[in-house]
Amino acid sequence: MIPPLVILPRLHFDDVRRRFGRLSVLTGVSGVVEPGGMLLVTGPNGSGKSTLLRCLSGLLAPDGGTIEYREMDGRLLDAAERRQRVGVVAPDLAFYAELSVEENLAFFARLRRVPPDRGLAVLRRMDLPLDRMAGALSSGMRQRLRWAFALLHAPRLLLLDEPFQNFDAPGERVARELLAEHLADGGLAVVANPSTLDFDHAERLDLGR
Amino acid sequence: MRNASTWAAEATSVFVKEWRCEFRTRYALNTLALFAFTTLVVVSVSLGPLGVSMSQGTAVLPVLLWVILLFSVAAGLPRAFVQEEETGTAMALRLAATPSALFCGKLVYGLTLVLALEALVTPVYVAMTNLTVVSPGLLAGVLAAGGYGLAAGSTLVAAIIAQARSKGTLFSVLSFPVLLPLLLLSVELTRLAVAGSPPGVALPQLLLYDASVTVAGLMLFPAVWNP
Repeated sequence: MIPPLVILPRLHFDDVRRRFGRLSVLTGVSGVVEPGGMLLVTGPNGSGKSTLLRCLSGLLAPDGGTIEYREMDGRLLDAAERRQRVGVVAPDLAFYAELSVEENLAFFARLRRVPPDRGLAVLRRMDLPLDRMAGALSSGMRQRLRWAFALLHAPRLLLLDEPFQNFDAPGERVARELLAEHLADGGLAVVANPSTLDFDHAERLDLGR
Repeated sequence: MRNASTWAAEATSVFVKEWRCEFRTRYALNTLALFAFTTLVVVSVSLGPLGVSMSQGTAVLPVLLWVILLFSVAAGLPRAFVQEEETGTAMALRLAATPSALFCGKLVYGLTLVLALEALVTPVYVAMTNLTVVSPGLLAGVLAAGGYGLAAGSTLVAAIIAQARSKGTLFSVLSFPVLLPLLLLSVELTRLAVAGSPPGVALPQLLLYDASVTVAGLMLFPAVWNP
């Protein structure tokens, strides 16, 4: 008897290239992320880490190369589907200053068609006051809200651009715990950071010139 | 495949969010109201306290009404997507929202804003200029259809210019060809409403314009909004 085929989520990108005018930012970048695996992308400022993550998330169209991301059903997701499925933490991800933390999360939960419970649970773990207006958050608090936004819809793939910036020690500890739980649950992660982070089992991709 | 109810829930969420943010900042409300008030005063003072003659009124006053509405809307509505880009919330929207639902939520928000503006400006304008409207029903219909076209056209142009550098200039340049047919039809129909004449083919043409801009918006917006 043939065992049933188990399809696992997998991210594979090959020879990804991207230019901005005359400036070549990505010149043929490749990598693979398997379930439970993490790819740590390092390099100096301007080396293309954020651009690579934006291409992987579907927020930016690459000029060349292929990006293949499949989830549990094995179907290849196009850029529009990737945008909706992935969880993103990025420095330029902002929220509505006129709305409270809870209202922001509830709004994006309705857009993602999920209950806000998971995001609210993340915020409680990160000790962020729900009734605080987003415009009145400190930079570290905004980073906590970004994490809650990224995990709101329980994504299989996390794309984290400088995920621990502005955190105090407790904030970074909780964020690392959340990332470890995500990976232990079979999730995938691509982490971009200017300097290397002390992750034991991460694959590394150095974009340094 | 998303069904219609989840799509409608998404669009409604965007609409509610827009009004919640607007009530807390009152940016568009203040801009529209102040612009409308200023132009109303200028027009009424320029035309004299006793108003204009019936023949002049039929020809001139409908034009001035739509000029007031156009510039009031142009002062407030282009912010619809520009603000999302400037504050960085566009990225979160791109990650979470279905483009067509986002467009419709913004459009309905713009429509309610325009209709509120018309409900405020038109009676005051009619009273201040002594304008006699023979067919108020037709005028209401023209304001509704014209207001919808104004909101839909402005929302579409606002989406196109959101990622550009010279947003103000681009809005004026792109709005001209998009909104010109709408304004010509609306002015003509308002003249007919004032005179009490039947609307003829102008009303179906206005409704066709509204439908065309809506379809064009729904088709163009995903390409304009996403990379």
